[in-house]
Amino acid sequence: MRMLLEFCKGDTIRHLGLLDLQRTMQRALRRSGLPVAYSNGFNPHILMSFASALSSGIPGDAELVDVTLSEDREAGECLAAMKRALPPVMQPSRVRLVDDRFPKLGRLLTHAGYRFTVSGPDGGRLVDGLEAFLNQTEIMAVRKSKSAETLVNIRPMVLRLEGRKTESGAVIDAIVSFTEAATLKPDLLFATLVRETGMDAVPFKVRRTGLYTLQENRPVPLIEA
Amino acid sequence: MISEQIDNLLDSVQKPARYMGGELNCTLKDWDSVAVHYAFAFPDVYEVGMSHLGSRILYDIVNRREDALCERVFMPWTDMTDLMRERKVPLFSLETRKPVRSFDMLGFTLQYEMSYTNILEMLDLAGIPLHTRERTWDDPVVIAGGPCAFNPEPLHCFIDAFSIGDGEVNILQTIDVVRRAKEEGVSREECLLRLSQLPGVYVPSLYETAYNEDGTIASFRPLKPEVPAVVRKNMIADLESAAYPLAPVVPYMEIVHDRINIEVLRGCTRGCRFCQAGMIYRPVRERSRQRVMELIRAQLQNTGYEEVTLSSLSTGDYSCLKELTREMMDEFSSQKVGISLPSLRLDSDLEDVLEETQKVRKTGLTYAMEAGTQRLRDVINKGITEEDLLSSVSGAFAKGWSSVKLYFMFGLPTETKEDLDGMAAVSRKVAECYFNTPKPLRAKGLRIHCSASCFVPKPFTPFQWEPQDTLEMFDEKQRYLRGIMKIKGVEFNWHTPEVSFLEACFARGDRRLARVLEAAWRGGCRFDGWTDCFRFETWMEAFRSCGIDPGFYANRRREKGEILPWAFIDAGVTEDFLWREKERADAALTTADCRKGCRGCGLKRFEGACVDR
Repeated sequence: MRMLLEFCKGDTIRHLGLLDLQRTMQRALRRSGLPVAYSNGFNPHILMSFASALSSGIPGDAELVDVTLSEDREAGECLAAMKRALPPVMQPSRVRLVDDRFPKLGRLLTHAGYRFTVSGPDGGRLVDGLEAFLNQTEIMAVRKSKSAETLVNIRPMVLRLEGRKTESGAVIDAIVSFTEAATLKPDLLFATLVRETGMDAVPFKVRRTGLYTLQENRPVPLIEA
Repeated sequence: MISEQIDNLLDSVQKPARYMGGELNCTLKDWDSVAVHYAFAFPDVYEVGMSHLGSRILYDIVNRREDALCERVFMPWTDMTDLMRERKVPLFSLETRKPVRSFDMLGFTLQYEMSYTNILEMLDLAGIPLHTRERTWDDPVVIAGGPCAFNPEPLHCFIDAFSIGDGEVNILQTIDVVRRAKEEGVSREECLLRLSQLPGVYVPSLYETAYNEDGTIASFRPLKPEVPAVVRKNMIADLESAAYPLAPVVPYMEIVHDRINIEVLRGCTRGCRFCQAGMIYRPVRERSRQRVMELIRAQLQNTGYEEVTLSSLSTGDYSCLKELTREMMDEFSSQKVGISLPSLRLDSDLEDVLEETQKVRKTGLTYAMEAGTQRLRDVINKGITEEDLLSSVSGAFAKGWSSVKLYFMFGLPTETKEDLDGMAAVSRKVAECYFNTPKPLRAKGLRIHCSASCFVPKPFTPFQWEPQDTLEMFDEKQRYLRGIMKIKGVEFNWHTPEVSFLEACFARGDRRLARVLEAAWRGGCRFDGWTDCFRFETWMEAFRSCGIDPGFYANRRREKGEILPWAFIDAGVTEDFLWREKERADAALTTADCRKGCRGCGLKRFEGACVDR
């Protein structure tokens, strides 16, 4: 049996990288008393994988980890045990139990959601520019990877983009493609949006709001896949 | 306010997790609910400091008090200190991000001489005057302890009071004194005077030193009649009842020793003559197997760690090690808990233990041979033989180990070329043991990590009178070693002699070195123990500008009867004993472990110290 656990990466631990988060999760699993399964070999480790690595510096509201259990358990019991074991800044929100044949989360994952927060009048200008941005069919941007810089059309990678003005600025929510072939990083999306709106660098904060899979052309939270 | 500023800094530094705080099991108390606020400072980065057991013990002990809180402070890495200065963010504690200056007490642990510049850097970042005489009640009382406090003199003007010896009880006594002094509204001077009345506490501003023309010490004496002329170290006679953390802090980031650490015994009576720890932590005291199991159980449950280390100066000497590891395996192997045993000595009855620990998790094998020939091992009283090593590694290779670490020192008293050649010979024999192990039994990929460090004579050892090799001698020997250590399967590592040279200066330094230290720090020295940050030229410039010859401290032979800077401390072992041991070293005579009969080291003078078996 496998446990899919949805949890948050709180603001104060946003600087943790994937390895730190994995270690913290492993220790929480060990404290939880749940019957987690281990790998064989000289250095046994908990059979566990994160749906996606979240970069250091970005908090997340609904991250997902897939844990193999060696004995069957009830979802409610698992959630309660993990609530006790995880620190407040990593609290779990949902548990779904699936059987061992359930596909790997990485294979189901197609999209990721981000929320950008901008303070001041720049936020409003960006919100006003969203419609024009979405009306284009081609928006070229330079995607940097370790080895190369490539010019790509990012427009098809943007599934949803909506914003609203707030008292202090604006909030922009985006759901973007997140597959091996086409991943749109939040900072590239934001920088391009800023450029298209005719501005220079605008300070912003970003958090990942969810991980999704596309079902009938609609994004569904990965844990419900 | 400061918290927000810190948050902003974290977006632009390496490893922000060093400054985050908020880890599992850290203690958060309401600031206004306690009378005494204690900042416990480790003068190195988070991942080093969090690996230090003593700090964790003391953090726990202070936080058990209802009237006090203890928060952690580490030395920020250079990128962070630069930003902090630029944006005027003072040194802060991890738990509540309060400025360190707002604490009542600031305790430094002195683990290593080369962290001294970091202490000055931390005081400066905190906005606390560097010199004890410039501080007021607006500043915390600055206390320091740890092994380097056994020669506190190079730090005499920066630290208000030193706590010498085991800290468990003394830290609470110092808190009591400071609390009462503040409640009674007495002067800071009066508070320091009261601290000087505590056992094991040395308040340097209450003493004065005079020097002879040749630079040696003419006299050292207290300035007031009530101040003790001799400061006797603190010693916890009963380790069994001593406090120990049940729920240690679990860092988010990986730290150097990232596992449960249970101290099974304190002290060592083997009597290796170069080893300061083996002298100053005497006598040997053990925790019972029951108590150790209890602590492991609690810590596993409260941390989720997957590895336990049984630590001490010589875990192989723990009287019930075999029974303990078996019991640990029985109880914890289903939880996949690994056991690691550091500092195992070759002559311990290793075989069974090794087999036990290997069942779950494989950890490295380390052998501290220290010297290349039997003659020199006799001089330093390292009572192990080549046969011990070879039979142990052969056994280990046959059981599937393929990675071995060998530690040596060079520059030991009486060393000759033959002793250096011995290091290569021993390493070659270890490699042969591997190749002689039948292929089906042995694991692939032999790796012998052989490391040779430069000998540093330390206070309170039989070698405290000995000169250190000069830098030229070290360089020449190192070049020679690099040539002869080119052996298949052996990777040879060496250390920078310049660092060991400075370590030797400060280990046996006197009050005059405080000026050098300050000059070096003003010249930009910090993190001297980190190769990338070490600036030897700046250090030499600091010596020159103060008109002090470092060779006087590092390379000079002291005569019997010279007043050594640390002579006012009663570390347990007497000067007579140390001199007798020095003479035996000169004659290459070994001294057996005192558990096989008292050697008269001086510890019997301490109540409850040595239990005759």
